Amino acid sequence: MKIRSGRTAAAAILACGMLAAGAGVAGLIMVSHTGHGAVLAGPPVAIPAPAGRQAAPPETAAMPGTAVARPVSLVIPAIGVRTRLIRLGVAPGGGLQVPSTTAVAGWYTRGPRPGAIGPAIIAGHIDSYRGPGIFFRLHQMRPRERVYVRRADGTLAVFRVTWVRTYPKDHFPTAEVYGPVPDAQLRLITCGGTFDPALGSYLSNVVVYAVAVR
Amino acid sequence: MTLPARAFRMARPLAVLGLSLGLLCYAVPAASAASAAPAASAHTVSASKGIGWLRLAHLSPNTPPVDVYLYSFGNAHAMIVLKHVAYGTVSGYQSVKSGDYTVAMRSAGAPARSKPVLSTSVDVAAGDAYTVAGMGPLSGLRLQVMRDRLTTPRGKALVRVIQASLQQHQVTVTAGKQVLANKEAFAKVSSYQVVSPGTWNVRAAGATESAVAKVTLTAGSIHTFVVLDHPGHLWITSLEDAAGSRVFPEGGAATGFGGTAAQAGASPAPWLVTIAAGLLLALAGAARLRRPRRTALVARGRVR
Repeated sequence: MKIRSGRTAAAAILACGMLAAGAGVAGLIMVSHTGHGAVLAGPPVAIPAPAGRQAAPPETAAMPGTAVARPVSLVIPAIGVRTRLIRLGVAPGGGLQVPSTTAVAGWYTRGPRPGAIGPAIIAGHIDSYRGPGIFFRLHQMRPRERVYVRRADGTLAVFRVTWVRTYPKDHFPTAEVYGPVPDAQLRLITCGGTFDPALGSYLSNVVVYAVAVR
Repeated sequence: MTLPARAFRMARPLAVLGLSLGLLCYAVPAASAASAAPAASAHTVSASKGIGWLRLAHLSPNTPPVDVYLYSFGNAHAMIVLKHVAYGTVSGYQSVKSGDYTVAMRSAGAPARSKPVLSTSVDVAAGDAYTVAGMGPLSGLRLQVMRDRLTTPRGKALVRVIQASLQQHQVTVTAGKQVLANKEAFAKVSSYQVVSPGTWNVRAAGATESAVAKVTLTAGSIHTFVVLDHPGHLWITSLEDAAGSRVFPEGGAATGFGGTAAQAGASPAPWLVTIAAGLLLALAGAARLRRPRRTALVARGRVR
């Protein structure tokens, strides 16, 4: 009787353990299927590279007045992005103003225009409260992929991705992103890393660096 | 079996379990924190990637057009060849890997294998920009390497002056009332001056000739003004060497609301802990399941 009760207890412990391990595995599978992977599992919508008059980048930095037109739309075939560009300034708190909707990207008007000398800035949301935003796949971009910016005069500025970086927001390299450069560059900015529900924000920024294609 | 012995036997797996759990609770968050750390937070991406910039110029008034060759050091094949570069021409910046380069000038149309008229070496440091210019009179032509600035004081522009006029030996250049270069001699390069952003009347005045230009300088931009001989008069041209944002926004960008983020409870850590705990519990159970059978056999033997 003593032995039987001991065996029953042991069997119960074994069963409980197996159940707990099983529940753990199930939970792990569930976790791995929520978050980024689950929302957009399929490949990005195929968007062809736009055709059009390709304005030469400022090869000879001659007389001023060779100003480029303001940007109006953005196409990134590699990650299925096609959007108009709204205008962004500085938010009241001093940070970069971001689009009020997650469906479009915006160009920072207090920086260079895309195709002019300097780092043109375009920002967009990775997601809304409900689902993916315009730059949901930005972190997937790889060097050498192309970015196209259509300008108000119909010309196209073409950029080649050079680097993709993730920075914690509290160590954002402001000078590197916004500071002077001697050629026509582009930076695409969105959020990334861990989402802090208490802060209601992601803890990192993803920055895609690109340079005008000659 | 006495009670203390049993309690001890039962307590042993529990202790192991507790210890393992404790270790896991320590290890998992530490590991996930390590993976969340940024892959790279180098101060300048260009510098960390070993990229610098070079541009080439012909600023010798009485030197005929030249072909300019750029070689990476020790390589006989030119990376870049600029054909028929005339006085007053400044190329755009070319991004190059950091390292040693050779710039050679040949008379326009001369064979690529011919001995260059002039050559110089340039050590390009990552993240830096350089101008290599043919300077001086034809009789004393030289290739000068200038290191170009790529940062400005906040909210300001930087300007320097290259005096490339042979007809006016000394030239004073002003932007509004601010003197940018005072009686600058031919073939000299001024230091950078801090200038407030705005549209300026820029004036270059020599002994007998002068030139004016309206130039807009934005905050965060760096310019080189070049004073040139134009047939019959003086000329001033403004090169935009580099530009940045006029205003630097503070910190990162708030570009996400978390709708696609893994939920708070969705970290894998608790589930991993559950799996480990479950397995340990199962092991403990299995061990106990085997042990009583052995004691039972022994007991039976005693009876015999």
